[in-house]
Amino acid sequence: MEALDFHCQLILEEYREALPALERMKEQVTATLREALERNGLIVTAVEARVKTEESLIGKLALKGAKYASLSDITDIVGARVVTFYTDDVDRIASMAESLFEIDWQNSVDKRRLHQLDSFGYNSLHYICRLPGYDMRFELQLRTTLQHAWAAINHDTGYKTGVEIPREYMRRMNRLAGLLEMADDEFSRIRLEITDYRRRVQTLVQNGKLDDVMLDGDTFRSYLQIGPLDRLNKRIAAINQAEIQEAPLIRFLRVLKALKCTTLGDVDRLIHRYEEDAYRLARHQLGNTDLDIVSSAIGLQNICIVCILSTGGGKIGLERLFDVLNGRNSQNTALAEMTYQQALNLSFMQNS
Amino acid sequence: MTTTITEAGNQIIAQFIGRLDTAAAVPAAEAVKPLMEASNREIILDCSQLEYISSSGLRIFLSVRKEAASHGSKVIVRNINADIRQVFMMTGFISLFEIQ
Repeated sequence: MEALDFHCQLILEEYREALPALERMKEQVTATLREALERNGLIVTAVEARVKTEESLIGKLALKGAKYASLSDITDIVGARVVTFYTDDVDRIASMAESLFEIDWQNSVDKRRLHQLDSFGYNSLHYICRLPGYDMRFELQLRTTLQHAWAAINHDTGYKTGVEIPREYMRRMNRLAGLLEMADDEFSRIRLEITDYRRRVQTLVQNGKLDDVMLDGDTFRSYLQIGPLDRLNKRIAAINQAEIQEAPLIRFLRVLKALKCTTLGDVDRLIHRYEEDAYRLARHQLGNTDLDIVSSAIGLQNICIVCILSTGGGKIGLERLFDVLNGRNSQNTALAEMTYQQALNLSFMQNS
Repeated sequence: MTTTITEAGNQIIAQFIGRLDTAAAVPAAEAVKPLMEASNREIILDCSQLEYISSSGLRIFLSVRKEAASHGSKVIVRNINADIRQVFMMTGFISLFEIQ
């Protein structure tokens, strides 16, 4: 242990006595952050907190103990960190923290704004905060996952300050920081553009311009929101006065693409073309049963079955359909055979 | 109709024996309650000795699936016979469950 003067020994004693309260404060800070993130719908990589270890405090006091009159002058005894996916989220969480905690603006640092134009380096936002009702302050660090990775690896080099690190390594670490900053900006831009794309798709779908929208996961979800299968599902459910259980339909995307649908317009035409036969298939299957529960996938499932059989896909086509819907397994051959036999007497099979 | 629950590693296996009809649904729903509380497990609904399933039985499977999903568990329906397979297909339940 490094030798501490009397003044620093007193601070160390104060720390030892305060340790249980500091642990409680750490827990409360973490819980407050987690609860607020969830309330605001913010998804982050990590929320973590720690109380400075005695060893680390002794090191700090040995270096600059005279600077502190008491333990409460040391602002990072309790430290919390939120690691985000996106740079924009750092600002959102900073605003959130401003409403949750009292911010000591004099001691808070936005390192992102400190950089010189010709330098790169570790960018993060450090707030010195106080939980309402507590005297001790704590440090809150906000950074992106990439900034966090850079900082963690930089720390692993063993150099605590930029002055200590050999010039050649510092130059290389800073090059990486610049690269990661560009990657962070690009990730944020991609997120923004995806959000914009989804909005544009929604508008096109709502305006009925389905032929202008290519079929993909996003556009298919938007299309489903206008309920193109509701009428068919309700008709099928009415056969046995069944309840309809919601089921995810995203598995059908691959099937629809295999059925040569490239736009939402193609999907819409497919539904309208085979809707009546899909209903007849359901009536044929369910009419003699007392099954009074169906999933909301039944309408689209039957449309795909009818389309495959009407276009000569036969049992093999059905087996491939069930492979996609149900995962590839040996039972799908029997399922295809059974469905084929059931459909044989229906009118659409006479024309196929 | 009997329902037995066994555990093997990360799996919880519910084995249904007999006919899961409306009358059998109440005791079966009671028997599968431990599955509803399982977190991050693989839940196997073993139907190798299940002869028949009614809408009430499907509702029990559905409840297990819903609760399992909310606890991070995954449900697999295993070894269904041809009649039950037909029920799953006709109701669109094959898109709701992983069937092996």
